[in-house]
Amino acid sequence: MSRTKASGLLIIGGTLVGLLVIMAVFAPLLTAHDPTAISGQALESPSADHWMGTDIPGRDIFAQLVYGTRASLAVALLGASLAITGAISIGVLPALIGGRADAAAARVVVFLLALPGLPLLILIGSLAGGSNVALILMIGLIGAAPNARILRSQTLTLRQRGYITVARGFGGGPIYVLRRHVVPGLGPLIVVGFVNWAGISIALEAGLSFLGIGDPTAVSWGRTLNRALEQQSIYFSDMWTWWVLPAGLAITLAVLGFTFIGVGLEPTFNPRWARTWLRAT
Amino acid sequence: MGAYVGTILCLIVINFLVPRLMPGDPIDALVAQSSETFMFGDDSRASLEAYYGIDRPLPQQFGHYLVQLGRGDLGRSIATNAPVRDELARRLPWTLLLIGTSLVLATAVGLLAGVHSGWRRGRTMDRILLVALLAVREFPPFLLGSLLLVVFAVKLDWLPLFGGETPFSSSYSFFERIVDVGQHLLLPALVLTVGLAAGTFLLMRAGMVSELGADHLLLGRAKGLRERTLKYRYAARNALLPVVSLTALQLGFVVTGDVLIERVFAYPGLGGLIFDSIRARDYPTIQGAFLLVAISVVSFNALADVLYRRLDPRTAA
Amino acid sequence: MSNHSLLEVDQLRVRFGGEVDAVRSVSFTLEAGDSLAIVGESGSGKSTLALCLLGLIQPPEASGRVRLAGQEMLGQSAAVLRSRRWSTAALALQGSPFNPVVRVGDQVAEPLRDRRGASRSEARRRAGELAAEVALDPALLDRYPHQLSGGERRRASLAMTLALDPALVILDEPTAGLDPASRAELVERIRALTEQRGFALIVISHDLPDAARLAARTIVFYAGTAIEDGVTARVMLEPAHPYSWALINAFPVMSTVKDLRPIRGVPPDPRAVPSGCAFHPRCTRADDRCTELRPELAESRGRLVACHFGGLKDLLVATNVAKTFRGAGHDVHALCGVSLAVHEGESVGVIGPSGSGKSTLARILAGHLAPDSGRVLLGDTALPTSWRGGTAKQLRRRIQLVMQDPIDALSPRLTVEQLVREPLDVGRDGEPDERGRVVADMLERVGLPSSGSFLSARPHELSGGQLQRVALARALVMRPKVLVADEPTAMLDASEQARLLVILRERQVEMGLGLVLVSHDMALVRKMVDRIVVLDGGEIVEEGSSEQVSLRPASITARRLVEAAPALIATSVRVHPTAPIDEWSSR
Repeated sequence: MSRTKASGLLIIGGTLVGLLVIMAVFAPLLTAHDPTAISGQALESPSADHWMGTDIPGRDIFAQLVYGTRASLAVALLGASLAITGAISIGVLPALIGGRADAAAARVVVFLLALPGLPLLILIGSLAGGSNVALILMIGLIGAAPNARILRSQTLTLRQRGYITVARGFGGGPIYVLRRHVVPGLGPLIVVGFVNWAGISIALEAGLSFLGIGDPTAVSWGRTLNRALEQQSIYFSDMWTWWVLPAGLAITLAVLGFTFIGVGLEPTFNPRWARTWLRAT
Repeated sequence: MGAYVGTILCLIVINFLVPRLMPGDPIDALVAQSSETFMFGDDSRASLEAYYGIDRPLPQQFGHYLVQLGRGDLGRSIATNAPVRDELARRLPWTLLLIGTSLVLATAVGLLAGVHSGWRRGRTMDRILLVALLAVREFPPFLLGSLLLVVFAVKLDWLPLFGGETPFSSSYSFFERIVDVGQHLLLPALVLTVGLAAGTFLLMRAGMVSELGADHLLLGRAKGLRERTLKYRYAARNALLPVVSLTALQLGFVVTGDVLIERVFAYPGLGGLIFDSIRARDYPTIQGAFLLVAISVVSFNALADVLYRRLDPRTAA
Repeated sequence: MSNHSLLEVDQLRVRFGGEVDAVRSVSFTLEAGDSLAIVGESGSGKSTLALCLLGLIQPPEASGRVRLAGQEMLGQSAAVLRSRRWSTAALALQGSPFNPVVRVGDQVAEPLRDRRGASRSEARRRAGELAAEVALDPALLDRYPHQLSGGERRRASLAMTLALDPALVILDEPTAGLDPASRAELVERIRALTEQRGFALIVISHDLPDAARLAARTIVFYAGTAIEDGVTARVMLEPAHPYSWALINAFPVMSTVKDLRPIRGVPPDPRAVPSGCAFHPRCTRADDRCTELRPELAESRGRLVACHFGGLKDLLVATNVAKTFRGAGHDVHALCGVSLAVHEGESVGVIGPSGSGKSTLARILAGHLAPDSGRVLLGDTALPTSWRGGTAKQLRRRIQLVMQDPIDALSPRLTVEQLVREPLDVGRDGEPDERGRVVADMLERVGLPSSGSFLSARPHELSGGQLQRVALARALVMRPKVLVADEPTAMLDASEQARLLVILRERQVEMGLGLVLVSHDMALVRKMVDRIVVLDGGEIVEEGSSEQVSLRPASITARRLVEAAPALIATSVRVHPTAPIDEWSSR
């Protein structure tokens, strides 16, 4: 992939994610309605007041779309942060320490990779009832394994480098070496891993709330779709064009935004299979 | 191989522990739910208590759980009061049909397109395939499914809107039934195939591109071998190896896709069952479905591992 | 087939990505049955050339002409290329790559199956025969490539090249990475095969001895082009191009007794090959012509050399030099017709017992003493014997003498700085304050301090070793082309001696000095020089490479000197007598 093409992707991705952030921050300015309050009749068609109509009890769909950005971004940030933190603690630290800790951590990574992620999410998400915290924790946990795998192999390569040996030689502990030498060395991989997992977190959250897992009162795109598809007749009127399509497109564009940033950053520094490993989960 | 057995054992333990580790006991949690779909009778409470064996100490509960599992007893559904096992058995063939069809199609299409695209990389065909499939992969399956439904089932009315077959189709002839099932299968399988094929394609293409620079391929050229031999016996044969091990990991994607798609198309498979159970808070069914799906995924991974070892002489022995 | 050569390469160029010049205009031809070695440092474009010979690199990267058995290989259709590959010319790639997922035997016979449509059993039978021909255990054919050792892979690779009975076999680094025993065995096997099958052979190697054993003709590659092309024995034993000479001198062989000599400078970056002669930044004699004009291969000294000077020329040539000292009672015939040549960057040892005339020769070579007859040429000019004349003065500065006794050679009244600076002041070289810098720099280069207190020290304050190094610095400060050192370490202890010699050697490589080292100590001389001249009774009694003279001396004098050489253990130097020792009496 050429540099220009890559930077083109970066610009598109950056724009999309930038728009998301603006929507999330300025949500109250973009719509006058409260997404959780009943502000009209049930199932109204789009009007000047309700740009995308209303849902069953009469809540404004456009407000749900705007405020849903907050849920998606929160999941993206938290899920990705958790995944990367987890990856560093089970992938990077043990690899630095070496010995038994490394061997044990390597086994943990292999085990976590073998765990089927989505079924686990569904099980825990549905049993945890209305809590979104457990969901986000799980999204982070699932993301730790593939990221740990990538970071670990890079750490093992880094560990061979002279300056790390020297730093240990003059008494630098694992935390010091991690902070001073390894994290900067892994930086690019961490950034790409973070961005990729942010996108995946959005897709996972959307999928789960689409299935009705998580807080039933939460405002999120997946939840909007979930309610829309409760209507058996949704496809037989034009309702789907303002109830299903905008939320679906919002999810698509949000995920694409992060993906493009990730793909755009990759040619600069990513090992060949890194992205594939992430995607495969 | 031992690792996979360990993983399966772990899944069983997780399945046992998760409901018991939730705050309060699972039945209390159920009662406390403020759900629209909440309905809860005394006899289902009794059957739940019997299933969970909640009054006994934890190790004993685990022993009891294992014995039940060994007998194939997954408890009774709260929603239908039927044994979970029977419900799973009824749904499984549909899911196998959907996933199997998609997997076979996606693998064939993805591999062939990947080999071709990678071998002729940089050509117009390669660029088109690459951009199209990259975009398709990021498309949420439920959106794609909904759009296809609107176009083919509602606007054009060529294909059925939902379900796995036409209700009361038992009067159909055998051939008519096959056509009917096929018509119902077409759209969901298409959505699942597209996403899967995109993944396989990208993996295979990347593998081919990296094989293009391999020395043994250069040697093959020096030997004056036929293009076909070089493309398949040299490049594709070697590029396939990492794809096999990664395809297994793609299975996570299959399961995700399956659950979402069955929901969109109201397909009568496991995905639909899982969705219904979540709505009804039918915990025994969710747990049973989880165990079945999780163990299948792990087993499939193990199978792919075996296949990989057989394909690559370097890991054999 | 009869009216054209097996291989004709004409003006072949390869440029990758529009900036990397891998091959820069190479032309040569090869007749059927001939053997050719292409040698050079890694990265010199040898392997790229090999790929071009089979048309594996095509326009636009490659340009020029490559004709294989009369068929142009560049810009050809895939079908034509396929028809020539492996059947006319087969190539064993560097590192013996194999398809990792196909059994070795199937790959050896693959061309038969894929190209000739041979049946499975037929191909299998042929693979077995081929394996036997290269002495590879046929049982190994059923294995996968990763299960074979490096040597076995190379044999399998060799067997594979023979599958279609090609007229030309190209082997790229056939022995790299093998242990010496299997290396020798493989080389012998290849030799035997060329004789039995009569194919033409191109060996690409940076291993000179293997190349020498396998090929009758050698092309030396540098920066993607041929810089010397000739009969192997000639190229290897008396290389003409400065690079060939340096390459062969840098190569360790079992018999090398002198220290390894690295080639000065660094190999060229194919992204930015130097203009003119690509070797000029590393060459000790390059002039303006070399930096501007690219030399073509031209006949010189019985081979082709790409050098504006026709290759290395003799820098200092003494012809039939004789000197007699007239004494009161009898005349002493110090030298009776001695001829000696030293070329650029070469070091020659003059060795002989006391009274053999070595010191006389040293002083005549350095122009301090006029011979009675014969003459000494420095470059193309006769060395002046008088002190007069402006051009003679300049010429004289090109050759410098370091004498045995530094106390004698250094004026006790001058400071170190004045001593080293003296030649510069005399020659009015550069500005006065620049001379100071030159002096300080040279002192550092001979391992002496260049600070104030040392600069103002006088000879009596210094040790013998320091004095000799001051003398060396004084000789080198004029940047001479030749340095004559007459027993420079005779007055020094062992550690000072080692130090001086190391410094001398480093400066020689760095400055491209021709060195004449006069000594009676065989142990010392053989570590230092490329060639040894043995002097006795005013005549040259033996002359040869330093390993030859020190390990297998032919003359009595040389043998005596070897035996007399200091050794901690009596048997540490083995002498192979080639003539009975009592021949001494006949002299």
